[in-house]
This record gives sequence, structure tokens and C-alpha cells, in this order.
Amino acid sequence: MQDSDFERLLSVCRLRLGDGEKAQIKKDIDSIISYFSTIESVDTSKLEPSYHPIEIEERLREDRVEPFENPDALLKGTKTYRFYVVGPEI
Amino acid sequence: MRSASEPKKQRKEKVVYPKLLRELTKLNEELHFFTVINDNISEGAPFSVKDNLCVKGFESRAGSKILKGYLPQFNATPVERMIAKGFGFLGKTTMDEFGFGSFGVNTDIVARNPFDEKCVAGGSSSGAAVATAVMKNHIAIAESTGGSISNPASFCGVVGFTPTYGLISRYGLIDYANSLDKIGIMARESNQIRETFDIIKGKDGYDSTCVDKKLTALKKKKIVVIDQLTNGVSEEIKSTFQVLLARLENQGYAIEHVSFDFIDKAIPAYYIISMAEASTNLAKYDGYKYGMQYGDFTKKYNEFFTNARENFGTEAKRRIVLGTFVRGASVKDKYYTKALKVRTALTNKLSSLMKDAFILSPTMPITAPKIEEARKLSPLQTYAMDSLTIPPNLSGFPHVSFPYAYIKGMPVGAQLITSHFNDYALLDFVSEWEKSFEYQFKHNL
Amino acid sequence: MKIGLEVHVALPTKSKLFCGCSTASEEPNSSICPICLGVPGSKPMLNKAALEYSLDVANALGCVSKPRTSFVRKVYFYPDLPKSYQITQLQDAIGVEGYVALEKKKVRIRRIQLEEDPAKIIREDNYTLVDFNRSGLPLLEIVTEPDITSEDELREFLNELRSILYYLGVDIEKELKVDLNISVADARVEIKNVTGIRNLVDAARYEIKRQEELVSKKQKIVAETRSYNEKSLKTDASREKESDEEYGFIYEPDLTFYSIKEKKREEPIIASRIAGEISKKYGCSKKTLLELVQFDSKALELLEHAQGKWPIQSIINVIEVLKRYESIKISNEKFTELLEIAKGGHQITDQIIKNVTSGAHVKVTVSDVSAEEVDEEIKKMISANPKIMIEHEKNPKALNFIVGAVAKKLNASPRLVSERLGLVLKKGFKN
Repeated sequence: MQDSDFERLLSVCRLRLGDGEKAQIKKDIDSIISYFSTIESVDTSKLEPSYHPIEIEERLREDRVEPFENPDALLKGTKTYRFYVVGPEI
Repeated sequence: MRSASEPKKQRKEKVVYPKLLRELTKLNEELHFFTVINDNISEGAPFSVKDNLCVKGFESRAGSKILKGYLPQFNATPVERMIAKGFGFLGKTTMDEFGFGSFGVNTDIVARNPFDEKCVAGGSSSGAAVATAVMKNHIAIAESTGGSISNPASFCGVVGFTPTYGLISRYGLIDYANSLDKIGIMARESNQIRETFDIIKGKDGYDSTCVDKKLTALKKKKIVVIDQLTNGVSEEIKSTFQVLLARLENQGYAIEHVSFDFIDKAIPAYYIISMAEASTNLAKYDGYKYGMQYGDFTKKYNEFFTNARENFGTEAKRRIVLGTFVRGASVKDKYYTKALKVRTALTNKLSSLMKDAFILSPTMPITAPKIEEARKLSPLQTYAMDSLTIPPNLSGFPHVSFPYAYIKGMPVGAQLITSHFNDYALLDFVSEWEKSFEYQFKHNL
Repeated sequence: MKIGLEVHVALPTKSKLFCGCSTASEEPNSSICPICLGVPGSKPMLNKAALEYSLDVANALGCVSKPRTSFVRKVYFYPDLPKSYQITQLQDAIGVEGYVALEKKKVRIRRIQLEEDPAKIIREDNYTLVDFNRSGLPLLEIVTEPDITSEDELREFLNELRSILYYLGVDIEKELKVDLNISVADARVEIKNVTGIRNLVDAARYEIKRQEELVSKKQKIVAETRSYNEKSLKTDASREKESDEEYGFIYEPDLTFYSIKEKKREEPIIASRIAGEISKKYGCSKKTLLELVQFDSKALELLEHAQGKWPIQSIINVIEVLKRYESIKISNEKFTELLEIAKGGHQITDQIIKNVTSGAHVKVTVSDVSAEEVDEEIKKMISANPKIMIEHEKNPKALNFIVGAVAKKLNASPRLVSERLGLVLKKGFKN
């Protein structure tokens, strides 16, 4: 993989690697991707993808309000300001 | 060690908690298998929970630094059901970060094998296996994506049961790969597993993929051995496995060797799918929600997120990068979609092999390696360790690993697989097995 | 010139798309739960009513659907997205290839998809404030082909779409949130997050002019994302997210496939179509009818009930009056009573409406009174009110008093009285 492609990939997943880590992972990635490519040899021409390993029957939820018992507890430990959650600047 | 004549009445012994907690805490300092022990436990038969299952009010960080301090406000469904039945929550067990590992070394607290403390406990449900191997009357709720129940069960000499995908609700499970994650059980005896299974399985209004299905206990008269799988294991394990086959033949099973030429493609297909899903599951960890305050508020959002996400371990980062790559628009068909079709091919072929047979193999190609050796392996070498456990996991077939031999004192497990929803047949098999085979343990807290 | 729209419609369900939190909330972060907060371990469960509404809309817009619909994860990083992916749709969307019929053309609908709303964010100087009440609300995204070619068509389309949605019980109170795509030349400019028809028309008008000016100066139009500033009435280059985001869609593995049932959906109510049919049949203005019924199902009901039995103009008049007095919610029978009163020449007043609806009004049987009796009474009334005759010479309306008084006394139709009065005066009755 080209270095520039690798950098772009890192930025897409919002990851930063230290120099040592980066060299290591970049090396691994190339061999792992070629390993992944070996699935090419399996004949899947007449097959559909299995998104789940078994057939999952559909289940729907009735449109009923069921409030969570303690919404405030969900935000404990999170930085808040007047009931809003504080997030990073855009 | 328990002698053959001693009646199996351990489960009826009442647990004396203060004593157990004392001994457990002490042993934990050596073997590092609990991240947190519930000191308030006072009654009920004890069960532990792998750290990727949420327990209300207890830190649940799935082996990762990035979830440090995360306190769930709800119980995972299986946990809820155990507590409702009167079992006592004992604590959270250690694991590879988010399930990414085969040895239990990809995390800050590395569990030790109770048979040899220099060796790994296996992964990713490391602590669960150790807990079961050291306590008499213990049930471990664990989880498997590519073999994370079978693997440590084999290395630590306990029974590890992974049910058919979808039987046990995943609500409250901190996701690794949603189409592959299955909650399962480790214990010393099959009746413990059976009882727990019946308590925690079944439809849940919070998990759309949890199915309610009538299960069967169809005993197959034939055992299929897939040569490509067994050929890759160590010589010692191969010979113990031959002994096992001979024994089963004596018990009346017909043994059939088959060739399955593309079964080795299960590994890359599995890793493509699991990494693709994992990379989306891990996107939510960005440093300002869920009580994790890693963010530097002087930075704008993209840099803020990137800074926070430095708190993943190396294997997690590797999988996020690879997972993001394989689902990228330009290569998606070649990797992600193709892997999903390979899953179909594998499932179809395995299904046909199991129409009137179980599939049996050694669980792992080796016994538990030394921790330093495990750390030296490259990613691909580590992934290859899963060659025997991945096929049933990828296809969602129920499977069970049970101890069948000891090599230089280290346990060896075998893995039995059956068709979807024939789960009880596996428990029946283990139930038979344990009547005539003595499991060995070094501790009996 | 090409204009295309991406319309975001909030579905009127009680609970959110994937969890039981209420869709109505007041204080920030009061209607939240592990699921809409995207907490580790949470999983979605699809809301049945949201699915039903979406299928109704797809049906009403003439869309084609596959036998099953499914969802995907769209991954991107932004403070308003709790899981850092949005559960939305891609290849198995609710419906594709539909249309909205305007007067002179069809605006094609490319696709309709069901998805969850991100959270609400407020930008501050050094941070963002996030309210997760909005996170997880069910949204229907309706994407058109760039078939709209003028401001008038834009307005017509928006009203037509809103009317169709109104008749499905969807989104009439809340404003439509729309992304506009406008290309005067080749480059497509996207204007994001414009709310309300007025702003949409204004934004379009500004942007078309801006692009046309660039073209006339032979300058290049940059394909970009802009935002509409309601205060300056201009579109500005957006300081929004990076373009070219790699979304890396995968199938949503916490959900499954949902069948789009063969159950026959009801014929959708397209108000403009009905107005068109009736106006053609009875020779009145379609525009007038449409104004009455485009967003008023009660008015449509009355119109459809009464058409053919009463003169169309009468029906229109009475409906207009009822709307003016905010009394449109009456039964077909009472509507008929009012039409009868109007036929008799009476003005429909607020009081008459009240009388009719409360049942206090006594039905007029005009046939009981003979012309001779009316004439008799008229002559009596004129004799008793000599001043009126004098006033009448200056002001013809003065005689209304006579008409009213006689009509009241005899319970006769004012029209009849007025007729007879005219004849009486003609014959030369003076006193």
C-alpha cells in the first residue's frame, strides 16, 4: 500500500500511530491484505452473501413510549453544561 | 484432584463467601483473571462475567484502556437473567481488548494459565477459563467471535460451550463483530452448562437478532474428521487425538475422514468480516461520551477524536485500519462482499457434512504457549491459531470444547460441532464423556 | 437549470426509530436511553409504525419497492452522531422511482429511505453543546431527480408534497428540512439544511442569481456545499465537514431484512388530483378548489360529499365561510342545511353557523307561504314604515329592512320576499 493511501486510511478512522507502531502496522497490513485476497479462489459465483450465519426472522417494536428509568445516570461522568453534553468544537 | 469414587456432590455444597473471596483475591494476584471482584456477594451460586458484558454499576471496559471508568447503567440480558434466578455475581473476568486476540496478551491485565503461570490462559475469554479452572462451583458467562470460548477452555482444561448464533441475546454485549459474537458458557460439568443455558437463552425484546427456536438433541452416530484441519496441529496433539478417536469408535461412533479443500479460507473470510464490523463498532469511542473523558477540549473535533483514540492498543488499531480498508467503496466487493459469500459457501458445505454426523477436531493446534513466545508471534501467525475454531464460529454452528488429554501437564481440548439448533446434542455428548474421563485441576477454591 | 431536493421528513411516531424514548421532549437530554445515546452494548429495535408510515409515503409517491427492505451503517465522525455511524439505507431502501405530479410535469422521486436523526448541536466558541433528545428520531429522506426548473415549480412541488404527506398524517406541523441541489450550468451546488418553504424559495432565488451572474461573467461555478443564511438572505460557502468522506457502508448486522408486505395499501389521497377532476367536471377554478382542500381534509370531505348535488360555487362559498369562522369541522348533514340556507339567498353568518351546529335552527319550509300572503304582508309593512320609502329613493338598500322583517314574520325565504317586493313596487304600490 502506498504511504499516502495508508495516511488517508488512518485519517478516515481518526487514528494516529507512533513512529514505531506505524512502521510495524504498515508492514503487517500489506501481508495481511494479500492473505485476505486468497479468498478470491473460492467459487462463489452462484451464492448470495450471508449477512448473518442463520436466517433471522424480522421482529418489530410496537410504537409505545417506554422511558428509560434514569436518563440522568447515563450522563454521569460526562462533561455537561446546563443539561447539554459538552463536545469538541466544530 | 478428585478421585473417581468421590460422588459428584460439589454443586450441592453451599458456598462460603468470605472464605471464597479471600482465597480468590489472593489467587487473583498471581493469575490475574478478574478485573474486579464483587466483594458484596453473599449468596447464590457464583457466576462470573466476561468484561465485555455490561454489569450495572461495575466497570465494564472489555479489556480496553479506552473504556476505563465506563459504568453501565443496565445489565446485559444474560446477566439480568442469572441475577433474577438467584445466582450471585462474582466479578468481571479479563479478556483481550474487545476480543481481539487468541492468547489473552492484548490487554493490560494478562491472565496466567493455572497449570503453568508462565503460560497464556488463551483468549479472548482468558479470565473466564481460569476462573472455571480454579473454582469448584463456578459458572463463567463468556463470549466467542472466532473461538474465544473454545480456545481458552482448551488451554485451561475446562468445558467451553458456544451455542448457535442468535440463541442468546447480545443486548449489553460490548460489540466486536455483531454477526459473529455469541454468548456462551464455561463450567466443569455439562449439567451446569445446561441449566445456565436454559436460563439465559431465548427471545429478548432488545436484540433484533435473538431468535427463539426449538432446540434438538439429535445424537449423530458418525463423527467426521476434516483432514485439512487436523493436519496442521502439533505431533503430540495429533497422537492424543488419534487415541480419542479410537476411544469414541469403541463407544460406537463411526469415524469418517473427509477432505474439505477450501476450509482454510475460513480464516481470511472471518477476519475480513469481523474486522469490517469491528471497525464500525469501535468508531463510537471518541473521548467525550460514556464517562470517558480523554479529549483535549482545546482541539477541534477531528483532532480531539484522534487524540482520544490513541488509547486503543496496537491490535485494536490494526483491526480498525484493516476493517476500514476492506469496506471502502473501491474494494468492498473484492473483500467484504466476497467474504460474506465465502461464508455462505462454508456454511453450506459444513451443513451437508453434518447431516448425519458431528465434526470433531482438536480445539487448538498447540497447548498453551509461554507468554513471551505468544507475544513474539506476528499477527498472521496469531490469526492462524484460530484455524480450528473459526469454521464453526464463522457459520454460527454450536460447538463445545472439552478436555480430553494432558501433555506434560498442560490440558488439551477437542471441539465437537453440530448443525444449527442441535445444541443439546453437544451437552449430551459432554455429559457422557465426563462419566468416564477425569478432568484434572490444580486449584479447587 | 436543474434543481433537485433531499427532503427530510420527521415521522409522527410516539417513540423513536430504534428505542422506546418519546419523540416529544422538553429539557435537553431528558428523552434518552442507552440505545439512542449509542452506549456500548446497546442495540436497535425497529419501530413498526415508522416502517408503516414510510411504506404509505412510498405508495403515495408511486414508488417501486423490493420485497424486503434493510439497513446499513454510514460511518463518519461528528459530535452529533453518538455511534459515529448513522443507521440508514442504501441498496434496499423503502422505495425508488416514484413521482409527484405537478400541473405541467412530473417531478421524479429517485428514492425514499428511512433513517435515524443525529443529535441536535449548538456551536459555541470553544466547544459544542449536544442534545441527544433528537438522536434516534425517525426520519424519512425523500430524494428527487433534478427535474425542477423554476422557482414556481419549486413552490408548487413543495406544496404538492406537503399536501400528500398531510393526507397520510405525516408532518404538517413541523417544517420540512431540505437540502437543495442547484445547477445553473454544470457544477452542482448543494445548499444544506434549509427549513420551511419561504426560506427554500428565497435560497433558491439567491443561488440561481448567484450562479447566473458567475456564468455571465464567464467565471467558473465551484461544485461545493453551501449554507443558507436567513438573516442576510444569502448562501455562503459552508465551513462544514470535509467532502469526500469515506462512509464505508456495511449492512447493519444488529438488524435484519423486513418484508414489505403484499398487503394492499390504500389508494393515496392526492388533493390536487381530486380538485382537478372536480373543477373540470363542474367548470370552476382548480386553483380555488385546491386552496380550500390542499391542507384541509375536512373541507375535502365536504366538497366530495356535496359535489353534484349542489351548485359548485355555492359549495365553494359555504366552505370559504366555514373556514373563515374556523368552523369547518361539521357533519355532512349540517353542511347540507347550510347549503339550503344559502340557496334561499341568506347570507351565512357566524350566528347561523352556530345555530345550525347547535341544532337551534329551524328548517325553513318556504312552500307553505303563498305569494299572495307575502304581498299582503309587504304592503302592511310598507304602510307601517313610511320613512323607509322616502329613504329608498336615495338608498336602495333601505328596503332590506322590509325584506328582513317580512321574511322573519312569515318564515319565508328572503329571496321570495325580495322578488315579491320588487313586483309590488313595480305595480305602483306606494302606501
